[in-house]
Amino acid sequence: MRGLLATFRNALAEVRANRASFLSQVVVMGVNDVVWVLFWVLFFRRVGSVRGWDGESIRLLLAVITCAAGISLGLLANARRVGNMAVDGQLDGVLALPVPPLAHLLLRRVEAVNVGDLAFGFVMFAWAGSPTIQRTLVFIAVVLAAATVMTGFLVLTGSLAFFAGRNEGGELGFHAMLLLGSYPVDIFAGAAKVLLYTAVPAAFVSTVPARLVENFDVGNAFLLVAVAAIFAVAAWAAFTLGLRRYTSGSVWTRP
Amino acid sequence: MTRRRWPQVTAGTAALRVVAERGSLAVTLGFYVIVVAVLAGLWRVAVGANGGDIAGYSVVAITWYVVCTEATTVSLNTRLIADLGRDIGSGAIAVELLRPAPVLGVRLAAELGRVLPRLAACGVVGALLAGLTAGAPPRPAALALAVPSLVLAVACNIVAQHAFAGVAFWIRDTGSAWFLYQKLVFILGGMLIPLEALPGWLERVASVLPFRAMSYAPARLAAGNLEPVLLVEQVAWLAVLLWGAGAVFRAGERRLQVLGG
Repeated sequence: MRGLLATFRNALAEVRANRASFLSQVVVMGVNDVVWVLFWVLFFRRVGSVRGWDGESIRLLLAVITCAAGISLGLLANARRVGNMAVDGQLDGVLALPVPPLAHLLLRRVEAVNVGDLAFGFVMFAWAGSPTIQRTLVFIAVVLAAATVMTGFLVLTGSLAFFAGRNEGGELGFHAMLLLGSYPVDIFAGAAKVLLYTAVPAAFVSTVPARLVENFDVGNAFLLVAVAAIFAVAAWAAFTLGLRRYTSGSVWTRP
Repeated sequence: MTRRRWPQVTAGTAALRVVAERGSLAVTLGFYVIVVAVLAGLWRVAVGANGGDIAGYSVVAITWYVVCTEATTVSLNTRLIADLGRDIGSGAIAVELLRPAPVLGVRLAAELGRVLPRLAACGVVGALLAGLTAGAPPRPAALALAVPSLVLAVACNIVAQHAFAGVAFWIRDTGSAWFLYQKLVFILGGMLIPLEALPGWLERVASVLPFRAMSYAPARLAAGNLEPVLLVEQVAWLAVLLWGAGAVFRAGERRLQVLGG
């Protein structure tokens, strides 16, 4: 555990080393997120509400997904790179260390630009989430669960590259998760909606957590935690099984 | 490569590479289908909830609109500004000055070559999606004009990104500037929301900027509005942007030759 903490401290120190670059990237991501808010403001100004979603509830949804993405893509930045690292043979160094490989890999890199998402998400919640102590605690809890679902999904789809030898599935999974998570799941119907609760669990990184903050429900909270646990275990299992098929990036081991 | 044939050779080679990388093309198409499904779904629900019309767009029109805007966006390399800025900032572009062809010209030709196969694939898939989910195009004659307009849209976007990234000759790092550029196209280019649905003041701002030539113009045509003037506007913006990018690169290359990479 100490080794993992030291790894994470190093990753944070690395990203903070160039303070000006770090701050500028955080600001740029903040501006980027503001544009999304602007889109939704313009959208709802024009159309009123859509299937129970209005400007206020969508801002809460954005607060949840930007925080979850900030953790998953910012603090655990390698989550989206597992597939490429597997294909390019970049895991040799990790395997030689006396630490759990997946945990080390996830904590080893922090992406400054996505840390901006995390900061933006909390600002958004403070602005649009009507924060009370209870709502803030629920918000933090659901964000952690949503980040677990997102990280688990990214590692799971990335780990498919161990078996397929290519990472197109991981790339598509990454884009699909971020995009689909940015919209309320209620705009979809039929098979698409089922897909968002199962194969691409975007509903559990934005809509379900946002609803829990707005209107806490024990059943849905348990469901969210269960889904987070399932994706965490599935990601770990896929990565561990995938490592057995891993081929080093060293030229000496290439056929 | 002879002096006369370098644009075709460069663009052709780049296009063949994209076609050969089928996995990457499949990811682009998969992403395109998802984006279109999401955004068209959102707008269809919104139009349906507003009596079947928002800012003059029916369900069918808005679906064809979205299909077009997303094709112009997904087919592009979204990080082009960052990639270009890195090449310029690191001095790697200096090697390209040794070629007997202009750096900007070769880069534009290569990028256009890479984009066109993706644009064609997205266009075909998008037309199928729109036809199956919403219905036939509202006005086939306008849709025919949307085809050259799509090519002009990505050309304008590629040239503008080169002009934007060219500042790296001076500031060395375009970092995450592509995020901001992309968002300008998203809102002021009409990619996420038709310009007619914007508040009046913002629509007026968008009408004098080049971003509408990069997404809105072909989408407006595909949505059934027979407005050939949009093509004229795109050609005019393309000329202006080419002039701007050329000026930036000429000054930047001069600086690179004097100060080194």
